[in-house]
Amino acid sequence: MKKYFKISLIVALVLVLSTRCSDDLPIDEDGLLITRRSECYVSSFELLGTDFQTVRTKAAAIDTTAQTINVEVAFGTDLKNLYPQFTLVTDAKLDPKITGKVDFSDLANPKQYTVISGNRKVRKTYTVYITVQP
Amino acid sequence: MTLKNIGFLVTIVGMLFVVLTGCEDDEYSLPQPKNEFQNDCIKRTIGPNLVGNRIEFAYAMALPPDLGALASAQVEASIPGAANTRFDNLAYYTAGNGADVGIEVASPSSTEGNFTNVTFTRDTFATTLRYYYVIPEEARGQSVSFTFSAKDSNGKTVKYDMGPYEISNMDMALDRAVNGTAMYISVADMAVYDAAQAATMPDKIDVVYLYRSIGGKNFNHALVAPAADPVYLPGVTLPAGVDNNTKIIETLNLRDQHLARLQYGVYVDEVDFRNLNLSTASNFAINLKAESGAWVETEDGKYRAYIYVNSVNANGSAVISMKRLTMF
Repeated sequence: MKKYFKISLIVALVLVLSTRCSDDLPIDEDGLLITRRSECYVSSFELLGTDFQTVRTKAAAIDTTAQTINVEVAFGTDLKNLYPQFTLVTDAKLDPKITGKVDFSDLANPKQYTVISGNRKVRKTYTVYITVQP
Repeated sequence: MTLKNIGFLVTIVGMLFVVLTGCEDDEYSLPQPKNEFQNDCIKRTIGPNLVGNRIEFAYAMALPPDLGALASAQVEASIPGAANTRFDNLAYYTAGNGADVGIEVASPSSTEGNFTNVTFTRDTFATTLRYYYVIPEEARGQSVSFTFSAKDSNGKTVKYDMGPYEISNMDMALDRAVNGTAMYISVADMAVYDAAQAATMPDKIDVVYLYRSIGGKNFNHALVAPAADPVYLPGVTLPAGVDNNTKIIETLNLRDQHLARLQYGVYVDEVDFRNLNLSTASNFAINLKAESGAWVETEDGKYRAYIYVNSVNANGSAVISMKRLTMF
């Protein structure tokens, strides 16, 4: 009887250890959870200046079908030193990552950012068009 | 009783013993004061030590009343302080309303060379005196240290060493008024000039202050490099030769304590200037508000400065203060 108890205890332990380490919650290369969500869009967009105040003159126009963001910035905005902020749908992530100031001064070649869905299977590339208040 | 039970009993008794003795309070005894002449010192000022500013200390000295009274106190600074370096001859206590109230305990101090002396006039055995060291130009970029000492009526002395403290290479100019006339700012001179003066020293003019109220745009108060796009200098005719392309980065909520003299304990220090990345800086900052500022680098790279806007006035004037580091 005692022997059975010992064996069953060992089996239970092995079971716990092996299931604890199983890969049922996958993570991506950034250590973020890969979920089942396939939604993939930008819900809001902000641009901050070097003083960390908004430089927009009005809300950014986000077209999730055309995958464009149109934003008008105030006269005198320092376009070389802007901090963009994207708000994405749940579980999505952005590529390239925003790590600091971004140079938006080349208005002829607008910046592009790709939104990647929560299941990491849908990618949508948004183009950020900036116009300066005349 | 079996051997097993005896073992169990011994274990329980052992544990009980540990529990009971482990909780015993250590006997507390009141610390005994040292029965001798003692002193102590703290530095009251914080932030970088700038030439012209002062470093303030509070020097405390006391001895048991039956051993005598305080006779004199002295400070030796490794570099002689500038004019007005002194011991305060008042001892302060804090009144109910929070104000410091001074009581005279000594004659006014005298400073000669490295030494500042004060002689007690009141029969006292414990007091704290404040010492103000005004940082002289000679101390720039060096370190300065202090030796405080006190003598009692029996001739016994105690001493206390403070420092060394690094003296900054930075310069500072406070409360310069800028307006539609006095609008040419020289970082090299840390001064503000009008057009006629600027015309005589065009290479020294680094920033132009202007105020414009333009419908539909937030222009308002601006700091603009002379070489900036003319759209940022509307209605400004620059004096001949004023064409420096100064790097400017607008900032907000950086209320340096030295410049702003507000409640914020924030200081711009040398390391901030040295680590400042101006590679992508623009050459204008418009719509500046009170308590905002701008990082500035002169065209030749010799000076980096932080220009702080103390206040703005809707009639087109402002008060600015500047902290500057000479880079080479």
